[in-house]
Amino acid sequence: MNEDEIIRVAELMKIDLEDHGEHVGRVKKMLEYFDILDQIDLSSEEITSQEKSLTELRKDEFIPHDKKLIESLKNFREHYVRAPKMN
Amino acid sequence: MNLNTSILKYIEDVKSGTFTVEEFTAATLQRIKDVDADVHAYLSLNKSAINDAKKIDQKISSGEKIGQCYGFPISIKDNICITGTKTTCASKILENFIAPYTSTVVNRLQNEDAVITGKTNLDEFAMGLTTEFSAYGPTKNPWNLDYVPGGSSGGSAASVAANECLASLGSDTGGSVRNPASFCSVVGLKPTYGLISRYGLISYANSIEQIGPMTKTVKDSAFLLNIIAGQDANDDTTIDNNHVDYLKDIENGIEGKKIGIIKEMTTTDGLSSEVSTATKDAINDFESLGASCEEVTLPTIPYTVAAYYTITSTEAGSNLARYDNIRYGYEMESEGYEYNSYISKSRMKFGPEVTRRIILGGFVPSAGHAGKYFLKALKVKSKLISEINSAFEKYDYLIAPTAPVQPFKFGEKIDDPVTLMLLDYNTVTANLTGKPAISVPYRVSDGLPVGMQIMANSLEEKSLFQAAYALETKTNLPEVPL
Repeated sequence: MNEDEIIRVAELMKIDLEDHGEHVGRVKKMLEYFDILDQIDLSSEEITSQEKSLTELRKDEFIPHDKKLIESLKNFREHYVRAPKMN
Repeated sequence: MNLNTSILKYIEDVKSGTFTVEEFTAATLQRIKDVDADVHAYLSLNKSAINDAKKIDQKISSGEKIGQCYGFPISIKDNICITGTKTTCASKILENFIAPYTSTVVNRLQNEDAVITGKTNLDEFAMGLTTEFSAYGPTKNPWNLDYVPGGSSGGSAASVAANECLASLGSDTGGSVRNPASFCSVVGLKPTYGLISRYGLISYANSIEQIGPMTKTVKDSAFLLNIIAGQDANDDTTIDNNHVDYLKDIENGIEGKKIGIIKEMTTTDGLSSEVSTATKDAINDFESLGASCEEVTLPTIPYTVAAYYTITSTEAGSNLARYDNIRYGYEMESEGYEYNSYISKSRMKFGPEVTRRIILGGFVPSAGHAGKYFLKALKVKSKLISEINSAFEKYDYLIAPTAPVQPFKFGEKIDDPVTLMLLDYNTVTANLTGKPAISVPYRVSDGLPVGMQIMANSLEEKSLFQAAYALETKTNLPEVPL
């Protein structure tokens, strides 16, 4: 991963980097360490996951909240959150 | 008043009238006042702790039904929500965030009349191993203030070790309860994945993180687990534990049990000589308790740290996308900013380690790189689960030192990310496989603690506590010098 890629990924992850140089070395070192994953034979390995059926999940039901949550937000007007304009 | 007491002894003393809940709480708050300027275990204190204690005393004196906790003081890691209180995750981006609801674990504790002392320090968003990545300054190790307390639940561990409470709740994604427990000489449990509700725990890596108790004794850990474990409708990953009583039969011993000594964790180059010696002595202790010990090899372990950081960075990148500073966050004028540029600018408040993890989390699962990193990491996880399940067909427990080294000085390792990552070498296996693991204080060598880790099969916490308690009986540790 080079500096340009770091800047590009940071853009995608929505973070302005004041000094990308601060991160380049460390991120590179971490990725270099991750190369150890190339040394293990995983050819016969399947990715397993835990599954839960929909019937096991709690019901998607409305539970009233005793406070007006919107009033605890930083910036709102009536029922709407205020946010900067989109271009 | 002796604050270096266990929860169970405290309850006995309150019941017998040796002291009131208010007296003990007041003494605890005074202790915090006396030592926390140095230790910095707490980020905020519960201003109504004394009132909470008085209410419990009133219940006791009026003969009202009283909860199992009898007002014992407990601290909570500052990534666990309590309604109406600050929950910062030790991050500037949540500097003034007030939680609008209470986590299930805290609800359960409060329903049983525990007194919350305050919220404890951590590495920002629980990403770190020393608390050096807290945006509010590090916590110091009560055993030696020049040394790190471990992390990320370093504030929780230090608060228990320094007698600033009787217990704490931490969260463990890759060792964040067990590592600081080892460094501060307290008991730290990472339960089976799903045993404790994560509702109200601010997410970092949902697929592997768990809340865990940090206590002075193994029995206290079992007592706390009795209260906080079990299914929760608000967390669909929780599992039914059939109301197991973890405290019952805890003294049954481990006669005839089979223990596997994990070769990859006990013969690694990074193991210090003090930790190595302590491990050999612990093995002798287990054998003297009637267990049989033999070496077991889990060949996937050398790849677990890379797999762990790949998976957790990916999940962190997703989880932390919600912090856009629009609905909640810190004060930053939005005038003059376009929507996306405002978000990118505001997210500069993330600290350096969190920023790096988010960048990694954007990179390793991305098109073109996922095959090399993320998908491989998931396969490593699957392979490791198969290996460890096979091991538990033969052994009751797997053991290793909790951390390969003892606590170290501030700044000593912070500049080398790989050295820091490798501190997780012995702990991430329990997270990736979902197995329970406990760190038991075993030795204090040159004034610094060493902890031993015991791992058991899924939902075998009761048996795990029996082994941990048995090992604890073989120790005779000094009091913290603070």
